Amino acid sequence: MGHNVYLPKLARIVEIKEEVSGVRPIKTFRTNFLDGDGFLYRCGQCAMLSVFGRGEVMISISSSPLVKDYLQFSVLKMGRVTSALHDMEVGGVLGIRGPYGNSFPLDEWKGKNIIFAGGGIGLAPMWGLVHMTLGNKKDYGDLTLIYGSRTSKDIVFKEELEELKKRMPVHLSIDVPEPGWSEFVGFVAQNVLDKKLSPHNAIAITCGPPIMIKTVIKALKDLKFEDEQIYTTVENKMKCGIGKCGRCNIGRHYVCKDGPVYSWAELKKLPQEY
Amino acid sequence: MDKILAKKDFPEWLKKLKAYRVYAPRKQDDVWNYEPVSGPDNVQLADVMTAVPAKKIVFPQREYFFEFRETDDNGTKLTELLPEDNPVVVFGVRPCEGKAVTLTDKVFSGEFEDPYYWKRRNATTLVGLACVNPPSPNCFCTSVNGSPHSKEGLDILLTDLGETFYAEALTKKGEKLIHEGQKLFKDPKPEDKKKAEKIQVEAEKKVRRKLNRIENVPLKLKGMFDSPLWDEESMSCIRCGICTYLCPTCHCFDMNDEVETTTPLQGKRVRTWDTCQFPDFTMHSSGHNPRPEKSSRLRQRINHKFQYFVEIWQNYQCTGCGRCISLCPVGIDIIKVVEKVRDYGS
Ligand code: SF4
Ligand code: FES
Repeated sequence: MGHNVYLPKLARIVEIKEEVSGVRPIKTFRTNFLDGDGFLYRCGQCAMLSVFGRGEVMISISSSPLVKDYLQFSVLKMGRVTSALHDMEVGGVLGIRGPYGNSFPLDEWKGKNIIFAGGGIGLAPMWGLVHMTLGNKKDYGDLTLIYGSRTSKDIVFKEELEELKKRMPVHLSIDVPEPGWSEFVGFVAQNVLDKKLSPHNAIAITCGPPIMIKTVIKALKDLKFEDEQIYTTVENKMKCGIGKCGRCNIGRHYVCKDGPVYSWAELKKLPQEY
Repeated sequence: MDKILAKKDFPEWLKKLKAYRVYAPRKQDDVWNYEPVSGPDNVQLADVMTAVPAKKIVFPQREYFFEFRETDDNGTKLTELLPEDNPVVVFGVRPCEGKAVTLTDKVFSGEFEDPYYWKRRNATTLVGLACVNPPSPNCFCTSVNGSPHSKEGLDILLTDLGETFYAEALTKKGEKLIHEGQKLFKDPKPEDKKKAEKIQVEAEKKVRRKLNRIENVPLKLKGMFDSPLWDEESMSCIRCGICTYLCPTCHCFDMNDEVETTTPLQGKRVRTWDTCQFPDFTMHSSGHNPRPEKSSRLRQRINHKFQYFVEIWQNYQCTGCGRCISLCPVGIDIIKVVEKVRDYGS
């Protein structure tokens, strides 16, 4: 019998960045495996993080596979385990199992224009992808990022986004006006419509709160994107992460193993159980 | 390998199984369950249906995965807690339970093989007892590709011939167990085999309940996701979860950390059975729940057993033991629900 699939590898937190404070805080954790190696993963995959004594939570990997010296997770404080994670400090030890799930079909996207449309913490599951495509820019057409948050204080990866603006179009938005805000005001879907994105030779990926995903997909459809051109990631409650505990299914799909990445063409066909 | 064992020699066989931990059905407070056998004379093999199925031997209701312990240097030490290798034998396993184990085998295999399940499974020899008289009024194995003498998943099948057992060794593990009994086992005469076959065929006729013509149910279910049927059928459900906990094929589980001391932190990760019939089974930490209603959970149970599992594994995830029918406190009857699906709109 090979490796025990339920036994996490130990990793140390080497850096913590407070992305967003307040009632819906987000922190980014960088980790190193204690044994020095890590695991190979693809953009879109997730890992099961253990805070020992509290349990496990499935989190998308927000670093790109091009980065070799740490694994990164950006976590919204929400439940039991994410709260415990937010209480941890640099030097603390986590357990990590994975990587789990499918990934963005990057090979199929070669030569295409890629649009990222994210809201809130939804930038995290795409963040590795943004950097992966940017790192291999010659393989793709135009890259465009649209990102919205409730207020300017809720923006994740703030400094990195400013850096990113030098390398690709980045369109930010906040939900309600604020003094000193010069970019778009309104929801992500409205921003998508406002930018009149062209479906020509394009792929659009949207991640964020369910209501945002819904409205963005509608906006993309209004812009004449085909279902096959639209991708998103699905979240469900998870425990095992490996298709055994029976918790995360949508129809015959176990999101932990068969997801989280779905094209809208695929997702549309599945029952609404997410 | 077919053999004959005189019933009076059965305790002698048990005596020779010193290396094994032996389980058999035992009655306590009117309820049968597989329990460790205290002595060789205390086993009576009969047509009984235990409350908890034999799956608990290979997939216990609670089991530890590993221990975590905080170390002095701000580190953490994990100690894997795999089950022991000691061989186990279970007597009196119903054929529908043996078949059910072949289904959990599928779930716990594959790319992410479950080491806890397989350690136990590989150490366990399942001695089935063909049902001469189906033990439950709700048995319906013959409707879901099973039979009261199905051999699937079993290592030995015993058929009660009155004074003797007709013993068929079905696997290497089964042969080994018979070998332990050595001279107690005799070669069968042709008429023994005939007698066993006759009993088996007759038993099939005695399976009382039927769930007929369900070939189209998997497809039919696809179109019934939003049907009002689920509301109607789940109305009386009190969400106790017994239909799934005591189902020999259900495998859903939960994983949690049990803390023993906080400074230094020490505890264990534990797996426990869980059920899709509980509202918090699928509830996100945000409070959002994809299956908030009883109806959506009954729909999940039926869909998993008669559609999704069929699509993934080409098998119903139901072997017809009828426990969920007999034990449901409000009388929800899976046969009737599936029949309604089958007949819906016609
Ligand atoms: S369902 Fe069939 S195999 Fe199971 S106990 Fe009843 S008769 Fe025996
Ligand atoms: S998390 Fe257990 S099956 Fe997906």
